[in-house]
Amino acid sequence: MRYGFFLGCNMPAIRPDVERAIRLTMPPLGVELEDLDGYVCCPAFGTFPSLDEDAHLAVSAWNLSLGEDKGLDLMVECGSCYSSLRTGKHLLDHHPERRERVQALLAKAGKEYRGTAATRHISDVLLHEVGPQKIGASLKTSLKGLRGVVQYPCHSLFPSRIVGFESCSVQPRGLADLVLALGAEVQHFSLELQCCGGAGGFHKSDRGQAAELARRKFDAIKAETQADFMVVSCITCLMYLDGVQHELSSSEAQYALPVFDYNQLLALCMGFPAAEVAAISTTPRGPMLRHFA
Amino acid sequence: MIDLDLAKKELWREVDPSGALRSCFACGTCIVGCPASNANPPLLIRSLVRMVVLGLEDDLLNEDTPWSCVTCSRCEELCPMGVNPFELGLAIRRWQCRNDETRIPPGAAEVYKRGYTQPVEKADELRASVGLTIKPTTITERPDLLEKFQSLLMEFEVIRNVDYMFKG
Repeated sequence: MRYGFFLGCNMPAIRPDVERAIRLTMPPLGVELEDLDGYVCCPAFGTFPSLDEDAHLAVSAWNLSLGEDKGLDLMVECGSCYSSLRTGKHLLDHHPERRERVQALLAKAGKEYRGTAATRHISDVLLHEVGPQKIGASLKTSLKGLRGVVQYPCHSLFPSRIVGFESCSVQPRGLADLVLALGAEVQHFSLELQCCGGAGGFHKSDRGQAAELARRKFDAIKAETQADFMVVSCITCLMYLDGVQHELSSSEAQYALPVFDYNQLLALCMGFPAAEVAAISTTPRGPMLRHFA
Repeated sequence: MIDLDLAKKELWREVDPSGALRSCFACGTCIVGCPASNANPPLLIRSLVRMVVLGLEDDLLNEDTPWSCVTCSRCEELCPMGVNPFELGLAIRRWQCRNDETRIPPGAAEVYKRGYTQPVEKADELRASVGLTIKPTTITERPDLLEKFQSLLMEFEVIRNVDYMFKG
């Protein structure tokens, strides 16, 4: 199978080791990735969706048409990009008059929106196109003996009518199933479904309270699990939950839970070098990386 | 004291012509799971709905809280009345932008200028350090397309009216 790989901007600019991990791990699992020529911002909810609805849809349609031109669905890791592209397609497909207005403007730029390309989250592709069994069979090293916790990207859960691929949005299990396929134990905790707090305007408007939200999550992990690592599947969750631990740490409390994007752990288990697939982090990953040495 | 006789009764039509917000019975489900309800000042979608329904135009224009939304969409999922609170938050932002150009998000101008918000074009060294030698195929690599993209965005009145923010 083949997808148009929608990179977004955080991953290629700030966390290219995640991009590297995805590019290395998906083809051996039968998922070929093609780059999308001339892509733009998804658009992020804080840009055109906060300014003008038709401009929002024109930008969505621009990106979706890049997949359509190749006859491919899009695959995305970033939760915000995923949700934005799904929302754009949903609005274009359910509002014919808006779609017509947007299409007339796109035509002037030589673009056409046909509505033929779906956008899939990478977890969805791994779960439902590849499958845990094939993932398990691809590993050189398993995570047997290690315990993980998972952070679901809100943008891949809500609103389920637009973005959902779990059988129950408020009791998701996909990411846990994927981690189990790597041989690790998944431990659950009370604030597992709490948002990371790192997206949108919250941590810009009140950095302290956004950090406190994350602290409550990490405190629950400490009190209720013996986690060796955390797995996310969204670049914002990764950057925020990795970076905020340093900010939260003091002489009274230390926070040092290594955080990985799922494909980074998958890449390590497949035998790819940490220097390429898990090189960038604020919270040290040493204890986890030694498992693969 | 708020004099509701002076309020703009039809404000909801300007903000959300679908009228979905009129089904709100102020249960507060939208607040319970909202990360930004912990912010100071808190984002309280339920109160914003009241503000729109009652027609409190000046208060709504001065509200910063719609911009602290994390976009997690829990409220959209859980609202029992189909108000679509997340969508409403974006609709309030758009209404504010239409009525006060200082609300226009700088991120939109960045997307206009180079196609996206993060410095993808400056990451070559970092990318090479993890073995990525290919450049991301963003619109920056295609000046011909970037020009068309910018012309497309200028078709929208709310952008054209403040083109100095975008072109500057």
